[in-house]
Amino acid sequence: MRPLDPVTSKQRVAYGLAFFVLFVALWSWATLGGHVSKTFLANPLTMVQEGFDLLTKQGFVYDIGMTIWRVVGGFALAAIIAVPLGVLMGAYKPIEAFLEPFVSFARYLPASAFIPLLILWAGIGELQKLLVIFIGSVFQVILMVAVTVGATRRDLVEAAYTLGAGDRGIIRRVLLPSSAPEIAEILRLVLGWAWTYVIVAELIGSSSGIGHMITDSQALLNTGQIIFGIIVIGLIGLLSDFLFKAFNAWLFPWRLA
Amino acid sequence: MTILKIEQVSRTFPARHGNAPTRALEPTDLIIGNNDFVTILGPSGCGKSTLLRIVAGLDRPTSGRVTLDGRAVTGPGADRGMVFQSYTLFPWLTVRENIAFGLRERGVSEAERNEIADGFIRQVGLSGFENHWPKQLSGGMQQRTAIARALANDPKILLLDEPFGALDNQTRALMQEMLLSIWERDQKTVLFVTHDIEEAIFLGSRVIVMSARPGRIKAEINVDLPHPRSYKIKTTPEFVQLKERLVEEIRTEALKVAEHA
Ligand SMILES: Nc1ncnc2c1ncn2[C@@H]1O[C@H](COP(=O)(O)OP(=O)(O)OP(=O)(O)O)[C@@H](O)[C@H]1O
Ligand SMILES: [Mg+2]
Repeated sequence: MRPLDPVTSKQRVAYGLAFFVLFVALWSWATLGGHVSKTFLANPLTMVQEGFDLLTKQGFVYDIGMTIWRVVGGFALAAIIAVPLGVLMGAYKPIEAFLEPFVSFARYLPASAFIPLLILWAGIGELQKLLVIFIGSVFQVILMVAVTVGATRRDLVEAAYTLGAGDRGIIRRVLLPSSAPEIAEILRLVLGWAWTYVIVAELIGSSSGIGHMITDSQALLNTGQIIFGIIVIGLIGLLSDFLFKAFNAWLFPWRLA
Repeated sequence: MTILKIEQVSRTFPARHGNAPTRALEPTDLIIGNNDFVTILGPSGCGKSTLLRIVAGLDRPTSGRVTLDGRAVTGPGADRGMVFQSYTLFPWLTVRENIAFGLRERGVSEAERNEIADGFIRQVGLSGFENHWPKQLSGGMQQRTAIARALANDPKILLLDEPFGALDNQTRALMQEMLLSIWERDQKTVLFVTHDIEEAIFLGSRVIVMSARPGRIKAEINVDLPHPRSYKIKTTPEFVQLKERLVEEIRTEALKVAEHA
């Protein structure tokens, strides 16, 4: 090992898998070896069994679908509003001066603390769940996009001006393309956070979704199901992250070249 | 006909963090006529870039004014093409798209854009690299693309700020010949900033020597060497003589900088 030395892609996969193998091994040792009580932590085999049961008999696939739709819906709503606003803030300093203090403040409002209020306003339907995710993501995205756009290389902007670009041209042909990869990264990051909001929203006042299943299982002391639910969330996150990354690489080939 | 007039242009950067204001440029006068190739020579920090940026409209003078064909310069525009000291190709555009940037801004059709861009790609010797990203190019190739990008816009005047400053000597010499051959063929009005004495003489029809900070024009020397010039001219007695004269001028300035430092 030397600082910043690259690894081959085969090695990368091997190392990544090794961690999971080690993790499961430790977990098996702790549970199957009788070091931890069954009530607190199910062993891997029980977990797989419970998971299979959930998927085939208890309609867990529907729960997963509901959760994904809520995350994607709330997140898309946030992105549609936040990205243009962030770009405007980054490009036009007066707009930034106008909105930045409020957005910075709103960013620290915990989305989960809004749940009781949102239940009052919007009931316990889908709208309330979408709103939780919306509130949790929108301010973060606005602020991060504004910073990214504002940090566009000045020399590129100046070069574009000397080539005859107007204000519209600067935004459409310099600020946007130069920040686009960063904006895609921001969306990928915040989508990850949106996953935590959705589960919290589903823990309270919900009749479907992964979070709802987890609360139900808690009442039954079924730690196998809880762990299976958590692992499913992790796997979906991993998958969406992977897709997002691949999509970004495809969208911005000039970065990798 | 193109006439660039720089009249009593000065620039003082305002004080910041308790530092005294920086007088970067003393009031300066300079007239650049049609198809002139003027090189500005001066030590580092003497305000060469500042002057060029004011002409480009990227910076405002503290006093004085710049006019191009009688019209006052108030901001950047396509009539003054600029090649920067640093690499400023758009990383998300290919070589061809970079060169066509200004044309596209003007609404030229794609077919015509590509035709013009490919013409300049040939001129600067980048055939075969049309679809490369800037990241895949060497520094010299990037600056050639930047020159082609500025030329493709057909500006009235081309402003170059030490475009070859970061290149090795051999590449630099080749680039000078390339630029000069373009100028000899197409007759452009050029304002070229450098701190390399040989470069200033080889390229210029007129060399403007600037003094150390605060910058002002200290001497103006006509270069009456015949065109077309090849690199061989650098060893002729006339060239060497001019060089000695400029070395002397620059040396006194460099010494001043050293004393103040
Ligand atoms: N934006 C700025 N704010 C404050 N001072 C500045 C600014 N830009 C330039 N200066 C100062 O003005 C002086 C001239 O700078 P300029 O960049 O024009 O020099 P230069 O002749 O191009 O030097 P070099 O050959 O090193 O590029 C320098 O002393 C610099 O510190
Ligand atoms: Mg400079």
